[in-house]
Amino acid sequence: MALTQVSSNKCAGGFQKVFEHDSVELKCKMKFAVFLPPKAETHKCPVLYWISGLTCTEQNFITKAGSQLAAADNGIMVVAPDTSPRGCGVEGEDDGWDLGTGAGFYVDATQEPWKSNYRMYSYVTRELPKLINDNFPADPERMSISGHSMGGHGALICALKNPGKYKAYDATVLASGYAGPPLDILLDQGRDDQFLSASQLLPDNLIAVCSEKKIPVVFRLQPGYDHSYFFIYSFINDHIKHHAKYLNA
Amino acid sequence: MASPLKKSPGVKDRHDDMFGNGRIESDINSSRNQLQEKVAEMENFAGHLEEIFLTVEENFGRREQHLEHHYTDVLQTISQRYDERAARLEDEKKRKLEALYTQLLACGHALDASKELIEEAKEVYRSQDKRVFLKTVVPTLKRIEEFAKEEMDLTLATNLDFETPLADLSDVKSMMDSINIVPAPSAPVINPQMANSATQTSLRVCWSLFSDDTVEFYELYYRLVLQNAPLDSTTAPQVRKAKVKETHCTVKELLPGAQYELWVTATNTTGISPASEKALYMTVPSPPVIKQRQCCSCPEAALIRWESGNPDPVDSYTVELTELKGSDGNEKGVTESVVAVPTCQCLIQLQAGHCYLISVRAVNIGGPSDRSKEICISTSGTFFYLLEETAHPCLSISEDGFTIFYGDEELPISAMALDDDNFTRCVAVLGDLIPVRARHYWEVEVDDRTEFRIGVAYEDTERNSYLGGNNTSWCMRHILTTSRHKYEFLHSGQSPDLRITVNPVRIGLALDYDWGTLSFFNVDLEQHLHTFQCQFQRYVQPCFGLDSPGALTIHNGIEAPKYAFIEHP
Repeated sequence: MALTQVSSNKCAGGFQKVFEHDSVELKCKMKFAVFLPPKAETHKCPVLYWISGLTCTEQNFITKAGSQLAAADNGIMVVAPDTSPRGCGVEGEDDGWDLGTGAGFYVDATQEPWKSNYRMYSYVTRELPKLINDNFPADPERMSISGHSMGGHGALICALKNPGKYKAYDATVLASGYAGPPLDILLDQGRDDQFLSASQLLPDNLIAVCSEKKIPVVFRLQPGYDHSYFFIYSFINDHIKHHAKYLNA
Repeated sequence: MASPLKKSPGVKDRHDDMFGNGRIESDINSSRNQLQEKVAEMENFAGHLEEIFLTVEENFGRREQHLEHHYTDVLQTISQRYDERAARLEDEKKRKLEALYTQLLACGHALDASKELIEEAKEVYRSQDKRVFLKTVVPTLKRIEEFAKEEMDLTLATNLDFETPLADLSDVKSMMDSINIVPAPSAPVINPQMANSATQTSLRVCWSLFSDDTVEFYELYYRLVLQNAPLDSTTAPQVRKAKVKETHCTVKELLPGAQYELWVTATNTTGISPASEKALYMTVPSPPVIKQRQCCSCPEAALIRWESGNPDPVDSYTVELTELKGSDGNEKGVTESVVAVPTCQCLIQLQAGHCYLISVRAVNIGGPSDRSKEICISTSGTFFYLLEETAHPCLSISEDGFTIFYGDEELPISAMALDDDNFTRCVAVLGDLIPVRARHYWEVEVDDRTEFRIGVAYEDTERNSYLGGNNTSWCMRHILTTSRHKYEFLHSGQSPDLRITVNPVRIGLALDYDWGTLSFFNVDLEQHLHTFQCQFQRYVQPCFGLDSPGALTIHNGIEAPKYAFIEHP
């Protein structure tokens, strides 16, 4: 699969790059961001897949979250794909901000007219990792997944449906019926998140289920923080460290 | 672009830094200590020389005086004799002269009488009157005849010679002789104690004589010096003595680590010398006793504390450590010593992941004591006992010192007799963590229902306050309500708002001084729970508390799991 480098910036001693390729699953050109830490020059690195929330592209996380320093420190590659296929011309894809473009939800659509292009679950769990492993100094045995908002949901879906594939998990959505290797979930929730107060996010349910199912979760309610990238920025270090613990073990 | 706020040195540097610069410093220190010892030795020697000089001066002064005295006596006696003699001669002369003079007078008288008679006779002869002449001539002739019959004693009244008896100078002679008699000896000089010449129960004492005196034997007196002199002199230790012919003596059956006062006299046929100056000697001390429950360690070091084992103060202590090698730790490596330790504790640098046997000796001028009973230190992890004197009265501690209980029995009021050190509200106790700025890890085992507070606190944390409720303590707290388990991570009474879905029953605590962090883990799941970012101003102690009846057990000496401390670049 041919990769075209779109941009490359030296960052935190490594390189923040963006690539473009023709996606087989999504049947269009897709961009994704890759951060290569200094360690990648000489060694294979574990990979953290970050999947973003509604309306984001591959740019938001790499420009606003400030993850590069922690990633460089811990010798981790960070791959941040786009949130949906683009420019496919599917009818209705630009009608709303929470459906269609920028709102892939990390699932494979089963209905027309979406099911031909909207296959973000397969893209994130199969096509993208293969692409990364073939073209970059990535350790195929060590990968983990994390995300924010819709991406948090996506991270959990990917992890729960692929027991043992991801070494560390991170989610902000309900979990249920999980039966696989032990998880270790770190969850941060801004207390002043408008979606929380609007009950669109229901962490208590998650906690209740995990307590019952004995799924280890540490859930932190961060006072004063909202839903934005400022919130992500403030705690991304903790999350990268959490992943590094397992990726670098 | 701003660089990170805290620049941490590399792990290797950090370890080196901790004691690295100290190596050069310790070399300098040991050289300086050696020089100081030499200076002290020289000073002692100079002092001893001075003593000898003074004694010799004194001795010869005495002899000089003695001699002067003697000769003065002799001269006095002789002059006395002379005077006596002269007086006698004078008397004799006087007597003789008197006798002669008397005789002279008598002669004079006789001469006068004769002259008179002759004159008379002449007169009579010349008298014209024959009748008168005839009348007087006959008696006069008679008188002249009688007078002429008188024998003239022409012998001298006295002898012209003087008596010269032999002068009795025998006592002068004996006085002169006595000058040549061997005097009683001068005082010996007792030597200061030679280092390492004593044992626990004996002392080797040496002395010297700085004169040509003949000595038949010496007598060494000695007495125990009590640190606290008793008021009653009858209980004062008695003086013992030993009689020897040599200028040294080994005195036995003494007490260990004790000070003795010694002095010596020299004796010959004439008498006993004055006593030497008194010297103070010390026997080798008894071995110290290591206080097992007050020793603590971590992978890089151990803090050993001991009791002196001696009533009298010793000069210093020597700590000896031997590494145990081999797969079963039966092989002993080289023994290293730390000397000149001034107090009853020592912080020793060690290497991680090894096992050491450590013992202590007490040292004084007499030499080093025997080794104390050894303690075995393993540097697999951080190891500590509890500071039992800080425990709340309701807290009891198991025999092995690692499990604490909060019973639900009421304690009698008498048990509430408290020191300043006990916790009075929070049922808690502190641990005795080694004061080393390194990484420390320990675990706490509880059961699902235990309401605990565990973490760290400054040694002087308020004893009437709750752990985590002030700014001198940081702790994880478990609260059990009827509906659920609640976890808090408290400092200054504040906690982040968090939920934990699987209740930890074995909690790992990781303290990193350099990074100022205290982290908590669910050991069974290897799950990170929370990390405090603190700026520790000084050393902290582990703290353990129970909020309701229950128990918890401390596990330490464990190697920290890899996830407990994050390696910093």
